[in-house]
Amino acid sequence: MRKLLFILTILLAINAAFAQENKAVKPGEKFIYAASYNMSGLMTQLAQVTMETETVKTSKNTLLHLSCQATTFSKWDTFFKIRDIYESYVNPITLKPSLYKRDIFEGSYFKKEKYIFKNGGSTIESTMNKKHTETKKTFSVGGTTQDVVSILYKLRTVDFNTFKPGQIKSFVVVFDEKEMAVSAKFMGKETVSAGNLGKKECYKISIGAKTKALKGTDKNIIWLTADAAKVPALIKFSIPVGTGQLTLSNASGL
Amino acid sequence: MRKLFIVLAVIFAILGIVFAVLPLGTLALLPIGLGFIFGFIALIKSDINQKNIPKWILIVSGLTLIVVIGKQTLIKDEVAKDVQFEQKKIESKKEDMKDLEGLE
Repeated sequence: MRKLLFILTILLAINAAFAQENKAVKPGEKFIYAASYNMSGLMTQLAQVTMETETVKTSKNTLLHLSCQATTFSKWDTFFKIRDIYESYVNPITLKPSLYKRDIFEGSYFKKEKYIFKNGGSTIESTMNKKHTETKKTFSVGGTTQDVVSILYKLRTVDFNTFKPGQIKSFVVVFDEKEMAVSAKFMGKETVSAGNLGKKECYKISIGAKTKALKGTDKNIIWLTADAAKVPALIKFSIPVGTGQLTLSNASGL
Repeated sequence: MRKLFIVLAVIFAILGIVFAVLPLGTLALLPIGLGFIFGFIALIKSDINQKNIPKWILIVSGLTLIVVIGKQTLIKDEVAKDVQFEQKKIESKKEDMKDLEGLE
């Protein structure tokens, strides 16, 4: 009996250790969103956001390339052109980042940022390019620290089926060369429209972080489809300059 | 009072036209709606021989409304093919590969 209990404990421990392994994110995924911004109470469609995954092979390793790209609709390009890319190269199983890049082009503003994760992810070599000035910095982070792109995908590996409403999962994210705690609060299930996937039952997750980039409590919410793929079907955000949302219009490669 | 409503109706009708020309989508409905409301009040407050201006304001607001609805339903939101941006992405990926090779 003792032996059986011991084996069961070992099995549960192994299961818990591998629970965070990626089974949801696959290479070849492509999610297209319509990004809307709240203007005087009316949602106005501004840009298209594309989230893609692909396998990248180096001479010794196989990585998963995660990219999030925001492009203004052509009708807006003359007035305010946005071409933003956020990328991360991660381990396909653990989603641990090796390289993170942020390339922002918004009107006349541009900024480039690159993090190279070294020493098993505990050291970051950062290169920042802003206003034609390049600055380099090396700083230490926790071993489990993610970048802002990989955290979005990491969220999809969480088994929310076992969560009770109000339960929180914590992460550590590095953004603008600073580490910050990010919480994902499970708020229950809701059915939302998921573009070509139709109406889907989703996990409603509230994202909280002690940063000026996000505003309000329970105002930054992600709806993940309550299935194995956990596709982000709807994202509502509240930032200092206003509120908006990303609505899934097409999901492929699942 | 009639003059005030006419002035307000004209201002919102013009704003409606400007918003309709700009890619502001349904946001243009706001000034158009207000133009309609003030134009209609001005029409009620006008004598029979003074109804010409409010009528024209309502016609202009109506036409702007048709343009906005037409633009919303007929013109699809599309992303322009940006060759420069695509090229930048290719070059960036080559650079990434160098960084990733250097990591191992």
